[in-house]
Amino acid sequence: MAETNGAIVRVRGVHKYFRRGSERLDVLQDLTLEVPEGEYLGLMGPSGSGKTTLLNLIAGLDRPSEGEVWVGGQLISAMSEAQLARWRTRNIGFIFQFYHLLPVLSAYENVELPLLLLGLSRSERRRQVMTALELVGLADRIHHRPGQLSGGQQQRVGIARAIVTDPTLIVADEPTGDLDARSAEEILNLLDELRRSLHKTILLVTHDPRAAERADRVLHLHKGQLVEQAQ
Amino acid sequence: MKILGLILKNIGRNPLRSILTALGTMVLVFVVTMVWSVLWVLDLITAEKQENLKAIVTERWSIPSRLPFAYAAPISDGAVRQPGDIRPDDSMTWQFYLGSLDPKNLTRDSFIFAIACEPDKLGRIENGKFVTMMDGLESLSPKDQAALLEAIDRLKANRQGIILGYNHLANINRMTGDVRDVNIDQLMGKRIKLFGIGGYKGLDLEFEIVGVFPAGRYDNLGAFHRDYFNNALDQYPQTHGGRKHLLADRNLNLVWLKVPNMAAYNRVSAQIDQSPSFQDPAVKCETASSGMAAFLEPLRDLIWGARYVLAPACLITLSLVIANAISISVRERRPELAVMKVLGFRPAQILWLVLGESLLLGAGAGLASAALTYGVINWYFDGLRFPIGFLDRFYIPINALGWGAMIGAVAALVGSFVPAWTARSVKPAEVFAKVA
Amino acid sequence: MVWKLLAVAVIVVGILAAFNRVPLKYTLRNLTVRWKTIVLTALAFTLVIGVLVVMLAFVNGMRKMTEGTGRTDNVLVLADGATDESFSNLNAGDLAEMEALPEVQRDPETGRPLASRETYLIVNQPLPNAPSKGPQRRFLQTRGIEDPRIAAKVHGVELLPGGSWFSEAGVQEMPDGGPPAIQAVLGEGVARELASDRTPQQRAAAKTPHRLDVGETFKIGDRTWVVTGIMKSSGTTFGSEIWAKQSLIGPLFGKSGYTTLLLRAKDADTAKKLKDFLTNDYAKVAVNARIEREHYADMSETSAQFAWAIGFVTVIMAIGGVFGVMNTMFAAISQRIKDIGVLRLLGYARRHILVSFLLESLVIALVGGLLGCALGSLADGVTASSMVTGHSGGGKFVVMELAVDAWVWAVGIFLTLVMGVIGGLAPALSAMRLRPLEALR
Repeated sequence: MAETNGAIVRVRGVHKYFRRGSERLDVLQDLTLEVPEGEYLGLMGPSGSGKTTLLNLIAGLDRPSEGEVWVGGQLISAMSEAQLARWRTRNIGFIFQFYHLLPVLSAYENVELPLLLLGLSRSERRRQVMTALELVGLADRIHHRPGQLSGGQQQRVGIARAIVTDPTLIVADEPTGDLDARSAEEILNLLDELRRSLHKTILLVTHDPRAAERADRVLHLHKGQLVEQAQ
Repeated sequence: MKILGLILKNIGRNPLRSILTALGTMVLVFVVTMVWSVLWVLDLITAEKQENLKAIVTERWSIPSRLPFAYAAPISDGAVRQPGDIRPDDSMTWQFYLGSLDPKNLTRDSFIFAIACEPDKLGRIENGKFVTMMDGLESLSPKDQAALLEAIDRLKANRQGIILGYNHLANINRMTGDVRDVNIDQLMGKRIKLFGIGGYKGLDLEFEIVGVFPAGRYDNLGAFHRDYFNNALDQYPQTHGGRKHLLADRNLNLVWLKVPNMAAYNRVSAQIDQSPSFQDPAVKCETASSGMAAFLEPLRDLIWGARYVLAPACLITLSLVIANAISISVRERRPELAVMKVLGFRPAQILWLVLGESLLLGAGAGLASAALTYGVINWYFDGLRFPIGFLDRFYIPINALGWGAMIGAVAALVGSFVPAWTARSVKPAEVFAKVA
Repeated sequence: MVWKLLAVAVIVVGILAAFNRVPLKYTLRNLTVRWKTIVLTALAFTLVIGVLVVMLAFVNGMRKMTEGTGRTDNVLVLADGATDESFSNLNAGDLAEMEALPEVQRDPETGRPLASRETYLIVNQPLPNAPSKGPQRRFLQTRGIEDPRIAAKVHGVELLPGGSWFSEAGVQEMPDGGPPAIQAVLGEGVARELASDRTPQQRAAAKTPHRLDVGETFKIGDRTWVVTGIMKSSGTTFGSEIWAKQSLIGPLFGKSGYTTLLLRAKDADTAKKLKDFLTNDYAKVAVNARIEREHYADMSETSAQFAWAIGFVTVIMAIGGVFGVMNTMFAAISQRIKDIGVLRLLGYARRHILVSFLLESLVIALVGGLLGCALGSLADGVTASSMVTGHSGGGKFVVMELAVDAWVWAVGIFLTLVMGVIGGLAPALSAMRLRPLEALR
């Protein structure tokens, strides 16, 4: 098996291009990358550099035009769309810039959403949801709807939803992009905490140097290629 | 004009929703148009006319009405007895006859219901004008009129001739194995034998088809020469051991009278009522519309239901569908409505922008639906077949085009007023606060 | 048929519900968020289904009446060639022999055959106090009976308490000293119909507000008729008939002969044999003999015609309602594109999205449709006049009760579900096809 030496994510020779008419738009070019288990990896780069595309490939939201993507020992670049959907539930926790909570559901219900696909009993779900919400410090807000929470609180619900299935990998796309400095700080602390206490592998896409500096390693993307590695 | 342009743009902006709404409008207007068309005809024939009206004389107490044929002449004369009495302008006697094409198979499809009458009462040219005693044949197309007059001429010439209704011809076609469209020319001159049924048992009559009534009112009626019928009754004893036919003495079913106005009707009606000639059985004289109304009376609850439950329910459903579509549009467009306000559009203009969109959509779809209904029902299906009493099929009146547009417009107004008012009252500050 | 269709529909909905993973709470709460459009959409369903239920109740009432009239052990004899009583003319001399046939049962008390000679007449009644606009007369279906006690046994008809059959003479003196009044027994429907002619004073004095009762009078022409009893006849066409002494009313209305001979056999099988014998092998005179129950059951052509018309109208109205729910659902989806994207990212499959939105449309449909069924059910028991006709001509004017029963509800709910699924399908498919990344953009 290709999966060795504890790398949880292996991206090998990935190309991604889109066609617009006769024109070919190369977004990622011959990109190779490994992320060891438990690493907190930051991805930076200007708009259009392909960082979100790379994140989407790793999170199983998109498939490469060429090359392989392995996550947790599975070749996800070869999975069908339906297989990917199932795989995502168990393996990926998403954190979004705009939180993307369902407005009509309470904090508790939003966090519970991914668990409903896993065939757990109600009490198991409750235990996991409460654990996740306690971890993000919102155990006292479980019945609040997103509209009744601040931006920072909403993002913490988002994080709880991302970790509730105990995924292999957490992907965060600009998680602090919509927050004020203090809330952003809190969210970054929370991500640190996840990494420390739960040993989660985290993939963080960001513009924000303050966010990037929390990462173990930061990769810079430029025109679809990794240009620089910094420790 | 600016607003109209904007309205058109808005209709085109969410084409899916506009199309769904228009289609919803069209199907509901279709139902209302059909229902109203039937009611329109029923109202028309039961509406009391003041001029040039018809009266109908029948047995006073019993249904079916059966009078001695001896009544025919005096009733046709309006029972005039003394100077000053009024004679009707015209008259027509009806003697019913019910026969079956196939005595072994007594189903409605084999039945032919016909009247024995004086042929020229069916229609004739008098002083250069077409005159008829048959309701609904007064204003035929020149082509239909000419065809009918020819048929009547053949009927006058051929004592055994019969003019049939379309449904009869279709049934004859079916029985002879040909189920394609009725080919009138092919059936013309064909001889048929009818076996009397019910009270007409034993009266088997042979006919030659000489014509067909114009499609519509008389699709289930045949007409033949009354002399032929009376002769058959007279000769019946010769073949039946001298016994008279059951109907020998009572075979006149009704007499139509035409009078110039209500006053004349009242006079003639009184003359007949007071005449000593009609004692056993007694007769009654009523206006044609009143007679029709009596026949429709058992259906009054159904007619009421169609008029006051079904049609309104369709109209309200239509308003709901439109209200729904428009309120969705308004909600989606709140931000831009707010921008328009900021740009200086007045509340009334915003109101009209929304009302106009729904009015245009509603009236347009309503008109289109009515036009389609008119064309498809009248030309393709040759009328809406819905037998009620003596009526067999209904045509969509040309007025339906007006109804369609009106129904669509009114439902649109009712349905969109509240959303339009909401749009008019959009407060830019609130909208931007939410968006920001 | 309807039950099978409904079962299929319910199973389909059950399967949908079983496949549903998106919490129902999510669906329901979104409905309350958009409550205005939801109410508009559901109300359209309420109207369509409500109207359907009322119309079906009408047809159902007519069907129940024609199917519930007459007995299977009675043979109805009409003149040969006559398919309807009003066109029949029997020769009085032929009847005694038929009555004496061994298949005809005998009255245990008197030993007389259980046979009723009758004259069925449709009488024109000039409407008392009729407004100058509208009909001036109505048709009364009148049955002349020879011996009411025997006739009651043959027909199996009973009177409501307080009533009695007419006397041997068939007339009675009235307190006002005028000419004697014709005694009559009324069906419940016609008793109700005639009560609409009461003057305000009569109405105020009436014992039974909604129908004529024993002792009350009505007029046909210048003769007064007095009610001696009311038949327990609801749900049969006899409810629309007036029964009186044959020898009196036959000549009065110009029909002295009999139209109908009704013979009671021991049981249905014997009745069948008797009918076959009279139709095929009876040499003395040709007659048209029918099992009484079948004679009335055949008068279903009008209901069939109305059933078709109702089906047609309802389907078209339903299409209108479907367009409404489509609008609502398309709007719901465009409003919740982001929700759909998130659900897909979290691992919800396309089918989960499809099922969730289908269920949403079904919930709207069911709320409206059930309300429609409930509202339409208010029509249950309402009386209406109508007409029933047979395949071979003939027919009767009837007063019947609208009947909402489980069958009507089944049709209503089935249509609701079908409308909900059809209206929800196209939007749900469009929601299903959304790509998660595009949805979130």
